[in-house]
Amino acid sequence: MRSFLTALRGNPKAAVGAVIVAIFLAVALLAPVLAPAGPNQRVARPHEAPSAEHVMGSTRMGRDVLSQTIHGTRTSLAVGLAAGALVTVLGVAVGITAGYFGGRVDEGLSLLTNIVLVIPNLPLMLVLAAFIGQAGPLVIAGIIGFTSWGWGARVVRAQTLSLRERDFVRAAELLGEPAWRVIGSELLPNLVSLVGLNFIGSVLYAVITEATLEFLGLGDPLIVSWGTMLYHAQATSALQVGAWWEMAAPCLALILFGSGLSLMNFALDEVANPRLRTLKVPPALLAAVRARGAGREAA
Amino acid sequence: MAFLLRRIGFYVAAFLVAATFNFLVPRLMPGDPVDVMFAQAGTALPPESLEALKATFGLMDEPLPVQYLRYLGSVFTWDLGLSVKFHPLSVNEVLWRALPWTLFLVLTASALAFAAGTLAGIHAAWRRGGRFDSVGAPAAVMLQAVPPLVVSLVALYLFGIALKWLPTGYAWAPLLDPGWTPEFLGSVAAHAVLPVVTLALTQLGGYVVTMRNSMINLLGEDYIVLGTAKGLDDRRLRMAYAARNAMLPTVTSFAMTLGAVFGGALITEVVFNYPGLGYTLYQGITARDYPLIQGQLLVMTLAMLTANLAADLVCLALDPRLRRA
Repeated sequence: MRSFLTALRGNPKAAVGAVIVAIFLAVALLAPVLAPAGPNQRVARPHEAPSAEHVMGSTRMGRDVLSQTIHGTRTSLAVGLAAGALVTVLGVAVGITAGYFGGRVDEGLSLLTNIVLVIPNLPLMLVLAAFIGQAGPLVIAGIIGFTSWGWGARVVRAQTLSLRERDFVRAAELLGEPAWRVIGSELLPNLVSLVGLNFIGSVLYAVITEATLEFLGLGDPLIVSWGTMLYHAQATSALQVGAWWEMAAPCLALILFGSGLSLMNFALDEVANPRLRTLKVPPALLAAVRARGAGREAA
Repeated sequence: MAFLLRRIGFYVAAFLVAATFNFLVPRLMPGDPVDVMFAQAGTALPPESLEALKATFGLMDEPLPVQYLRYLGSVFTWDLGLSVKFHPLSVNEVLWRALPWTLFLVLTASALAFAAGTLAGIHAAWRRGGRFDSVGAPAAVMLQAVPPLVVSLVALYLFGIALKWLPTGYAWAPLLDPGWTPEFLGSVAAHAVLPVVTLALTQLGGYVVTMRNSMINLLGEDYIVLGTAKGLDDRRLRMAYAARNAMLPTVTSFAMTLGAVFGGALITEVVFNYPGLGYTLYQGITARDYPLIQGQLLVMTLAMLTANLAADLVCLALDPRLRRA
């Protein structure tokens, strides 16, 4: 956590990203206070262009687009955070278990992970969502969580495998520490930046996927979120009749929130992998440092 | 050879899992899917097809293991049942009609994105911290974060509706007869520009980032330093020494990201009414056409597995260690 805060201070990219994400979180929490109207209140004529009164215009049904976007932020962020957490927890659990216990356990879990990775995600989710029918936000979060943990598991497993051979892990094992303690207090703390990267990436993926599923008509159309806003706009041919604002607001929200998360990830990546940092180091020096590091690891 | 056999075994297992998933989902969900479809389709379906639909799902009055074997049998003989939305056609026919358009879209866009993204990544990594890198690298990361849905909608509105530069839907002008005439091919090309470019844009960021990171990791290697010390010229060092090796992870990740690209193509097709798998599927979803939705999972899985097999063959050609194993 401290390294993350230091990274924020020293890294303008991360700071901008964190501010954007924080603003979205605040909007989600304060939605009823900030929004000028209720999400389903009809306060304007159909398809009114943006004006001082309705900053982002109105929908075909005469609802205020800005208010809908603000209220939709709640649903979209909630699904993103819930699904992102589920993806991360599943991925870390599977990855650490496979990497730490090895042998048969690893073979079985790796096979499972590889199968999950090779079956295309969106088509799989479409089948699930279609049979469930008009899936609510919680169900969508569950669908995303249970189908998308493959990448996380693979990355965490690889890192666990390399950590497992380190002296401090061996020492803990020789002391007779039980497996759960070795995993909890030796391995996990060293995986924090990787888990953080995985979580941020998963939240981003979940927010986008939720919007996509709902746009395709697999969500609950009565719930207001960025995805259902796009679905209704598409269903009423908003773009074709020139009501671009109905699409623009949720699109803008998706782009902004996504950029914020990915800027944070970019910075966290640089913390986790120092070689990606933009430093003016001559390659020769870098090679020398690397060689020393490798020597230390081998020793 | 053992390597290849092991991979093929894995692919068969993966396909089996997808098929089993299709078998289990309708049984685990509340309600009878056939009844739901009949309710949705209204009078479009003749009553005789009720039995045929039940057979598609294997929902006959038989013990579960027998149902399962029967279902697997029909899947492996590629009998995917009847489509509800496109009634007289079978799911198989509907999918085969749409597949070429999706493949065309995916392959063209991937090739474009791969070429442009890799070159940009090489350039950014080589002049790290330079003007191109400090604008390009964060831009690429942010581009990765923009959903294909948003890119497609923005492109549709800007170039299709507001500026009217390009057609906004379908694969060719409806007045033309399909054939190898220059007029028809020109129309196909014009209709493909927006879907292909948007699909390429959504992948571009990923290639730039992967290539840049992989190249930066390589630039610290001793053989690059040695190359510089020997006085090799910049271009040769950059392309033949660094980029060539740095490209390997990009090539292997190509097959893995294909699933995401198919997903992206699905969205792009819906936005542009492009008659590929995605658009067909969209029509299927609105009509709750379960056999079609299940069929597309099998086809997409098959496409992924084929791409992975192809990537295995490429790796086999590039990496002699795998041949000996």
